[in-house]
Amino acid sequence: MDFSATYTEAELVQGLRARDQKIFSYLYDHYSPALYGVIVKVLNNDSTGGDVLQDVYLKIWRYADRYDETKGRLFTWMLNIARNTAIDILRSKSHKLEQKIQNITDDVNAGSGPLTVYQSTDYLGFSKILEKLTKEQRTLIDLAYYKGCTQEEISRVLDIPLGTVKTRMRNAIIQLRNILNK
Amino acid sequence: MDAQYFISSGLIELYAAGMASEQEVQELEAAMRQFPEVAAAVETYRRNMEEYVSLQRLTPEAAVKTSLFNQINNEPDLQDSLQKTDQQMQQPKLVSMTETKSLSWKWIAAASAALLIGSLILNYVFFNRYKEFKEYKDKYQSLLLSQNSILSKENLYKTRLEQMQQSLDVIQDPDVMKVKMPGTKAFPEAMATVFWNQSSKQVYVKVNKLPEPAADKQYQLWAIVDGKPVSMGVFEMGDTAQLLQKMQITGAAQMFAVTLEKKGGAAAPTMEQMYVAGKVPG
Repeated sequence: MDFSATYTEAELVQGLRARDQKIFSYLYDHYSPALYGVIVKVLNNDSTGGDVLQDVYLKIWRYADRYDETKGRLFTWMLNIARNTAIDILRSKSHKLEQKIQNITDDVNAGSGPLTVYQSTDYLGFSKILEKLTKEQRTLIDLAYYKGCTQEEISRVLDIPLGTVKTRMRNAIIQLRNILNK
Repeated sequence: MDAQYFISSGLIELYAAGMASEQEVQELEAAMRQFPEVAAAVETYRRNMEEYVSLQRLTPEAAVKTSLFNQINNEPDLQDSLQKTDQQMQQPKLVSMTETKSLSWKWIAAASAALLIGSLILNYVFFNRYKEFKEYKDKYQSLLLSQNSILSKENLYKTRLEQMQQSLDVIQDPDVMKVKMPGTKAFPEAMATVFWNQSSKQVYVKVNKLPEPAADKQYQLWAIVDGKPVSMGVFEMGDTAQLLQKMQITGAAQMFAVTLEKKGGAAAPTMEQMYVAGKVPG
């Protein structure tokens, strides 16, 4: 995906640090759907998602100086803020692990939850990827990435040995890479 | 440990999925700085994850962006303060908060004082009005009372006048015969008069002078018909005694007399208590 159609990465970073509202607006327009997708997936609802998204962008605006380009791209940094903010909220709501799993499993089983309604342009592409990942592979990735589960937690809730979690997770990620790099 | 160790360890995949432990993250980040190929492998997986995430993107409501930019524009100090240290960043915000606080406190105090003064003035005004009102109310009530008493007196006079008129009418009737009853030997000071209408046979009595009887006694008028006393009824004393009092009817009588009897009257006159008596003239 080409996120800098009109600006280079360096221009975006510089603009954000200068608190250039035009650049910030661009960052919002281009990245907010991805960040919002993460937030909604983590919290498993989109009723509070808008507020969380606003909070995430405020953090990006306020803490722009903390971004370190040597550690990764700007999008990676923004995505991490979105993911960490949402996971913090998930944990502060004292969601039980089982609940988290239930949500993920529901997602997987339902195949087309209420969220898919909003997934317009990329839904077809996304479903093609889903077809090539097993349900278990998707569950593993989602539990780790969206719910912030540790290997131990995944081992416990899916009732598979810790070593097996690692192996299967690795295979899932490799499978994802193979699909996407085709 | 070489680059290949990290690449084949599976750590990079766990790291990309966000599942690496704190210690593993530190290890890997150190390796990334050390080996460009590790960093490149991490970046590849990271991009894969980001792509996976981006494929699940959702468009947020437009209102979020509006709200976000409103909030950003309401943080005027932010741009300057962010150039400084975090410590300094906090200060202008704190200062402005205290200013707002003290300002609002002052404003509230001023508003409270104004309200208090307003309330006191209104209290004074309304209390005065209440006092005036109370005065008027008292005056009104006393006026009402005196009017009532005037009315009742007027009624009394009216009644009295009517009674006098009636008495006068009785006396002025040409058919009325006047029988004067002077005091007996026992009560020489006493005096009463009977007015007897010859056509209607109606008998009236007028007290000229009789002592007030005890509460359980009443005067009784008698007509002596053919030597026998016939009761004409009892009559009132007090104010009523000033008027002509309507008694019974009698067709014939030679004499009238008044005795003092028990209240309500007696069947036969008590001769010892005869106060006045008079013969019918003719």
